[in-house]
Amino acid sequence: MHIRIFVGTGGVGKTSVAAASALKAALEGKRCLVLTIDPAQRLRTALNLGQGGLEQKVDLGSLSMAGGLWAGLLDAGATLDRAVHLYGEPEQAETVLKHPVYHSLRQSMAGMQELMAIERIDQAITDRFEYLFIDTAPSRHAFEFLDKPEFFAELVSIPLLRFVGKTYKWLEGSILSNLGRKSVELYAKVEELLGANLVRQVLDFYSVFRTIAEGYADRARRTSRLLHDPGITSFTVVTTPFKAIRDANYFLGELDKRKFSTGTLIVNRIWPEVAAMPAEGNGSGRAGSLVTWYRSVSEAHHRTWDRISGEFASRFPTMLALPELARDVDGLSALNQIARQLAALDQQPIDD
Amino acid sequence: MSMFPPPTPVVIFCGKGGVGKTTLSLALGLRYARAGRCVLVVSSHPLPELAVSISLAGLKERYPSAVANLFVVHIDPREILGNKVRQQIPTEFLARTVLSSRLYQNLVEVAPGLKEIAFLARLRQLADGKSQDADARRYDLLIWDAPASGHFLQTMKVSRNFDTYLSGPFAVLGKELLHFLSDTGRIRILPVAIPEEMSVDETIEMCGVLKQELAMPPAAFICNMASPLLSAPEDVYQEACGGFGPECASFPDFRFILERHTVERKLLRRLCDGVPAPPCVVERVPRYGSDLELLDGLAESLGRNLSDVA
Repeated sequence: MHIRIFVGTGGVGKTSVAAASALKAALEGKRCLVLTIDPAQRLRTALNLGQGGLEQKVDLGSLSMAGGLWAGLLDAGATLDRAVHLYGEPEQAETVLKHPVYHSLRQSMAGMQELMAIERIDQAITDRFEYLFIDTAPSRHAFEFLDKPEFFAELVSIPLLRFVGKTYKWLEGSILSNLGRKSVELYAKVEELLGANLVRQVLDFYSVFRTIAEGYADRARRTSRLLHDPGITSFTVVTTPFKAIRDANYFLGELDKRKFSTGTLIVNRIWPEVAAMPAEGNGSGRAGSLVTWYRSVSEAHHRTWDRISGEFASRFPTMLALPELARDVDGLSALNQIARQLAALDQQPIDD
Repeated sequence: MSMFPPPTPVVIFCGKGGVGKTTLSLALGLRYARAGRCVLVVSSHPLPELAVSISLAGLKERYPSAVANLFVVHIDPREILGNKVRQQIPTEFLARTVLSSRLYQNLVEVAPGLKEIAFLARLRQLADGKSQDADARRYDLLIWDAPASGHFLQTMKVSRNFDTYLSGPFAVLGKELLHFLSDTGRIRILPVAIPEEMSVDETIEMCGVLKQELAMPPAAFICNMASPLLSAPEDVYQEACGGFGPECASFPDFRFILERHTVERKLLRRLCDGVPAPPCVVERVPRYGSDLELLDGLAESLGRNLSDVA
């Protein structure tokens, strides 16, 4: 089992790169699963993705292979809903799903698809996938989930909430009398600050959500061990020329801090070089300046890549430059183009 | 003539992650600061260390007068809530106990709408010049570098529906905020998109929600990182390409230019059809020596196409 996790900030093409990497491995005969978060419509269609359902096999048409590619959508909300149904009694589940605090929790998880990935990894192992490719959200949560697989367990392990969870329903009026004086004062203070209704709502919610969250947390602890095993999991940082230096430094720092072995740096969307045009000199001024403009952008991109590949050579075992594609290609063939680029780069390590 | 100065306008840059909201916020801020107005750029990026992909280094040498007028602040709602707790609890020791308790931390994390209300309240305080900080001042313009679409809409929705969630001190705050945000003469929402499929679709969807559900229609929209001549009429572009002669068509580099233009044009058209506001096309700055030069280029482009936003 190999797990590759793709991290990066917004708008760098993480999803396409993750999907193309999966396609490449599939074309090499591996049984692969790619889990993505929010693909563009055409990529969604190409990967045969529905609305947060279970993974689907991707129809690759003429691209023959022995392995196979499956794709699934990491939808935090949908996965959490499923977990509620899975770990809760039917009646409990109903109450939780309708609760305003649940909706707020679901909202605050909009960027926590990775947390949900933990659940799916467990399933993927059972389903005997050889390679797993995980796309992450462009947020701080991308690493938080690795730090805190016990997030849910923590939420419900506060002594007060634990107590409330057990007794809330039939001891409603006298909860506080059973607590230590310090806890009572603290509770009263927090209630005063945030408003009694709000605090009640939150406690009320956890009284029901508790058992559900504990079941989930157990599974999360188990699977997160895999993510900390460098023999199994590797990280790929995806960035674009504009943000490359800053992103590379930031993600290196975050990976180091957690003692993860650093994998690959991909600088995506480098504009192709623009050679001299035969008519550039004698064309209208406008045509000439148009070409000059594109060349300036491209040259700036290539300068960044030269700098990156020099500065970070000792820090990333692998560094790859991917060109900007002319965007008017259909989803699957665009992925195939990137996959072929990746395969070509495999053959020739950079040393210039 | 009124004795009171007109309320400070608030410009909001919103849109998908990675479209250039922070860079444009700083560019617009710099533009007005150079013209002598006192500007505050407010960011609420969850990863402040990654938000500012550009630096203001060299500002002092280049625009000595702008330095005194341009301010940038990052607001973390948890910090605001923490300050509120400190204000209300007399002793620092007790306040620290509350703040460090997991009960408090977890409640703040999941309490519906709490962080959003706290953030908006602070924004309004800054816009109204009512901040209690020692170094508080009156700004002529506030620019909010908003979080990515989903979280931005969530924040705006909370301001509309706060009473479904909140009671206590924060409900009172919520009511006041509704007035603040409903003032369309004062709040200018500027969605930012780039000519890429996902960004375009997300922007159209976001503007729909802003207009229909929230009654906060955008003042204009920005198509950022455009290639040259994107907003020019098609025949002007064709004429420019004609300057190359047919022998160029076989050059792969030239094909990239043509294909790129075709895709961008299609996406800009989709934006214009889908967003109920006038477009402002901002060209990608192809070459710049320093971040400040980049901001200058963008500021100029914004000035040309977006004259009366604030």
